[in-house]
Amino acid sequence: MTEHKVGTREEWQAARNELLEKENELAERSEELAKQRLELPWVPVEKEYTFETDEGQKTLAELFDGRSQLLAYNIMFGPSYEAACPGCSNLADHLDSALVHLNNRDITLLCFSRAPNEKLQAYKQRMGWQFPYISTNGSDFPFDFELAITDEQVAESEELQTTLNEPPDWLQNWAKQVGTELENGLRENPSWIAFALEDGVVYHTYMRSAPDRDFVVPYYQQLLDRTPLGRRDEFFALRKDEYERAGAAR
Amino acid sequence: MKVGTREEWLAARKDLLEREKELTRRSDELVRERQELPWVPVEKEYTFESEEGEKTLAELFDGRSQLVVYHFMFGPEYAAGCPTCSAIADTFDGVTVHLANHDVTLLACSRAPLEKLRAYKRRMGWQFPWVSSSAGDFNFDFGVSFTEEQQQGGADYNFQHFPTMAPLLEAETGPIAEQAVATGTTPAGYMQEAHGLSAFALDDGTVYHTYSTYARGAEFLMHFYPILDRAPKGRNEGDPPELWIRRHDEYA
Repeated sequence: MTEHKVGTREEWQAARNELLEKENELAERSEELAKQRLELPWVPVEKEYTFETDEGQKTLAELFDGRSQLLAYNIMFGPSYEAACPGCSNLADHLDSALVHLNNRDITLLCFSRAPNEKLQAYKQRMGWQFPYISTNGSDFPFDFELAITDEQVAESEELQTTLNEPPDWLQNWAKQVGTELENGLRENPSWIAFALEDGVVYHTYMRSAPDRDFVVPYYQQLLDRTPLGRRDEFFALRKDEYERAGAAR
Repeated sequence: MKVGTREEWLAARKDLLEREKELTRRSDELVRERQELPWVPVEKEYTFESEEGEKTLAELFDGRSQLVVYHFMFGPEYAAGCPTCSAIADTFDGVTVHLANHDVTLLACSRAPLEKLRAYKRRMGWQFPWVSSSAGDFNFDFGVSFTEEQQQGGADYNFQHFPTMAPLLEAETGPIAEQAVATGTTPAGYMQEAHGLSAFALDDGTVYHTYSTYARGAEFLMHFYPILDRAPKGRNEGDPPELWIRRHDEYA
């Protein structure tokens, strides 16, 4: 275990009070941003998009499922992957618990990925998820909303080319975990995206992509932020059904 | 609602993104500061009723080096757990496997007797361990339960002193009265408990208290709030905010 400073209750309390001030200040700023977020203009979605779902083809408006707001997380699961990104899967693991609460607040919560529908449904079953998992395969939707990039965009991106020429170990390992070549793997953009439906018109309202340590991360990371040792680099993301095997291998 | 063009949206979005990133960096700093807090040895012996019999605080770590306790509001006089705490429990129940594999044991602790907790846990379909601290001072020492004297004469919560709860205990309407009804107790019974989160470390056989957070400091646990904060209409709770959270089996 790490060397750590041990103190008295009084020393802890003094430090804790100081930290509390800052935590409160952070919460206030976060509230301000939530207000600013509501000020973003809504942009009408003019193009018609259709998606393959378990209940047949659906338009973007139909994905709202009778509610007026749609929040979606775009899981990195490209057409060439064998399985979805483990980190994204960890994030998705907490969505089912929010589902009933959000559905009752007029919000439909779902996930998108670009792999074909059959692949998504098989993976959803493996993970035991309940939320709707919608394939954007074959649609312009992911490209129009920057949820995915084309081969050409990969080729033109200096940043991506640098990464692809000398990929860090964790990224090479990640490519193995999802079962694709890295240059294909990096075409998906892990993001949250929000839409509103009003008087039959769908509006795009918000988007946030990784990296973001607080929101575009698995929820358990937030809990780790309150533990004595925090998020530790020696752990890398595994899917929830893979820990046992990994443990046995260690 | 303001309707705009893609360009207008993008300009506003970029401005907001800068501020979001600034907030993220600030949050990162606070995480580092949190880890700088001194660890305080826990000198008192606490025992808990668990599904596997009586356990000490050290035994609750279950072989791991870190323990996170959610102080779930379910007092001895409650007929059912607090609905808001239940929504929090819904959220963390799905991720305990990830925490367990990050050397962290997460559990809930309440002052109601174990059998009540077990029955309610079955009803809610949860998997996380839930222990009862009915026997000892644990809840009082960690600032989440209050005696009648404290309710009348004042105590500390969330690192602040409050003089008396008396006016709140007589409320016939409003959130406290509603929560009291939802938990099958009186406002005074309901207000014997408060919620929070405490973290502990186990090193060389010694348990250390490292962190506690209360009230809105534990709001991050309700992960549907950050999601709501990105929805087109935000939290949309009205002013004063309506109490909309129900147990997951109680939505109409």
